[in-house]
Amino acid sequence: MKMNFAQLNSEEQRVLAQLKATLALRLAEEAWRADPELRGSCPAGGLVMKIGVSGTGPSIRLELPPSAELSDASVRRPSLLLYFPGPGAAMRVLSGAKGAAIPLPLGPGALRVLAFFRRASTRATELLRDPGTPDVARANLLLAATLFGLEVIAGESYLARRMQIVPDGSVCVRAEDISYFVIKKENRIEIRNGAAPTSADAELVFSNYRSAVEVLSGARQAVVALGSGDVRIEGLLPLVQGLFAVLDRLSWYLGVEV
Amino acid sequence: MSDISMEKSDRTDGDSKRGDDRQGARFAASLAYFERAAKVIPGGIYGSKSPGFLVPGRFPYYLSRAAGSHIFDVDGNEFIDYLCGYGSQIVGYGNPAVDGPALEQARMGDLLNQPHPVMVELAERLVKLVDGMDWAVFVKNGTDATTLATSIARADTGKQIIIAADGAYHGAANWCSTNVFPVFTQTEQRDVRFFPYNDVAALEALFAENAGKVACLILTPYHHPTYRPQQLPTPEFLQAAERLCRAEGAWFIIDDIRANFRLDARGSHAYFGTHPDLVTMGKALANGYPISVLLGNENLRKTASSFFITGTYWMSAVPMIASMATLDEMERLGGTARLAQLGGMLREGLESLGREAGFGARVSGPPAIPYLTFDEDSDLYLNQRFCAAMADRGVFMHPHHNWFISLAHTEDDIARTLEAAREAFRELHPEARGVK
Repeated sequence: MKMNFAQLNSEEQRVLAQLKATLALRLAEEAWRADPELRGSCPAGGLVMKIGVSGTGPSIRLELPPSAELSDASVRRPSLLLYFPGPGAAMRVLSGAKGAAIPLPLGPGALRVLAFFRRASTRATELLRDPGTPDVARANLLLAATLFGLEVIAGESYLARRMQIVPDGSVCVRAEDISYFVIKKENRIEIRNGAAPTSADAELVFSNYRSAVEVLSGARQAVVALGSGDVRIEGLLPLVQGLFAVLDRLSWYLGVEV
Repeated sequence: MSDISMEKSDRTDGDSKRGDDRQGARFAASLAYFERAAKVIPGGIYGSKSPGFLVPGRFPYYLSRAAGSHIFDVDGNEFIDYLCGYGSQIVGYGNPAVDGPALEQARMGDLLNQPHPVMVELAERLVKLVDGMDWAVFVKNGTDATTLATSIARADTGKQIIIAADGAYHGAANWCSTNVFPVFTQTEQRDVRFFPYNDVAALEALFAENAGKVACLILTPYHHPTYRPQQLPTPEFLQAAERLCRAEGAWFIIDDIRANFRLDARGSHAYFGTHPDLVTMGKALANGYPISVLLGNENLRKTASSFFITGTYWMSAVPMIASMATLDEMERLGGTARLAQLGGMLREGLESLGREAGFGARVSGPPAIPYLTFDEDSDLYLNQRFCAAMADRGVFMHPHHNWFISLAHTEDDIARTLEAAREAFRELHPEARGVK
């Protein structure tokens, strides 16, 4: 059943706001990866920013280039905190509607960082919608959004019993050379990007970028892709099936209207 | 047989690693049906028959017919079948000794306003046959029987808690299913407690924690969870189960839906020497005709009599006729001794071939209900690869669910299966032995 934000309970509102913030930052990062022009417009020396939503827990951080890709491992300070006074404001603004967002400069270049984030968010949406976007870019965007979305919602009480019966373990998710490692432990899910999994308990493999795009964008039913062999699952099936249930919940969240 | 021979010749052409295209062609009709189904049926094929529960692309999705111990898919592929309609086939598909009288009754009327006299005859027969039972109520699915059993236990005791083993399957009703949505976990599932099978201390602790509130303990006669090796009960465990139920004033239920008549004609509880108050049976009860039964002892007759029990199709005559004939045919074909003999051959052969190929292949469960796992791979990669390789060779063995032997299986079936297994073990790459 389609819901709107006001119909959610307070926990769901908090989770959805966190989800929206996470997806905004992850998609901005993937757009930065996919689009050289956008990358060229990134402030010199990269950027670090955070999104904070009042009452929803720790703020969420974006670093470009990602710290894992830098030789200098020193901790970089954020120059911008995009602050939302509550989950409702985050939901509205990050869904493209009008609402209260307060950019708080934390260091030099904060306005440039904010401008870049806006450009990157817009570009991510364009890349997702434009049929001319290379499959690899769309697959990267969709996989990042989906998997990091799982990470956000896994701890909510709606999924508590489900997470209890899903065995702990790791799943390697691949589409050609895109690779993620999903680690499920108790009621948490952790996503590792690009890790080389040598000992995954299960594998979920899209036969190519296109099949990942079709399934993750909803253009093709996952079950049909599975039946036809375009998606392959192997190993500890209850773990993968358990994640499918979390995926269903993610899809429910993404269907909530402002 | 012809199709199996064809599979063998395909296999020996040097291409043991079948490509996706060849698999796609092999199951083209299955896949076409599945794609149509996905548009009009949730999940295409829902539940335990979903392609995702097997190895997609390596097994058929739709079957069109069966005979004896063999099944045929919509693409014309033939398989020696070790799933037996999830256990329902015990004297073989299309057995004329069962289908003959059943079809004759179908022509004369199946679902009538009032029960057919065969209902009395079948109840009398089961009460006489099944150890310790005094009455019978006929339903359709296993879920009907287990739900009725726990409901009667709750009504009789006025208590709410149901204790069950972790990972045990007792059906698809909200109280016992894996549909763990909060709306169910906060209602029907709220009062179901779980403990690890065979763990006496944990069971004792659970009874102690819920003292005065436990309506029943429901157990399968032995543990047959999906995705895991099967576990036989220890004598101490079953003794503790009975003792704790008696002390609490809770009823002891044995859910024998999956195993009935494959271990002991008197019920699997008789095989293991335990004494339940309620027993559910199904599947093999009528060789695939839709009927299950809840049997109970004298202690619960009054409550069962005062319970409103009904279902439109629950008293249909044909499955009861089929059940009577199945009981006769089981006896004629050698019963549980024959099943154990065939299952023993399969077990011994598979374990031995596995060892020869360097794998820790282990068959768990009773001989007539075997399940193969690999000691070196608890994640089941090897199960999936082995069963897929067997399916390539015309043998239907489920990678995640226990298998079943029927009285229609023959020594020749077992020999062909083991011949296929020798090649399937060989096909598993050596590096796959250390999958994790």
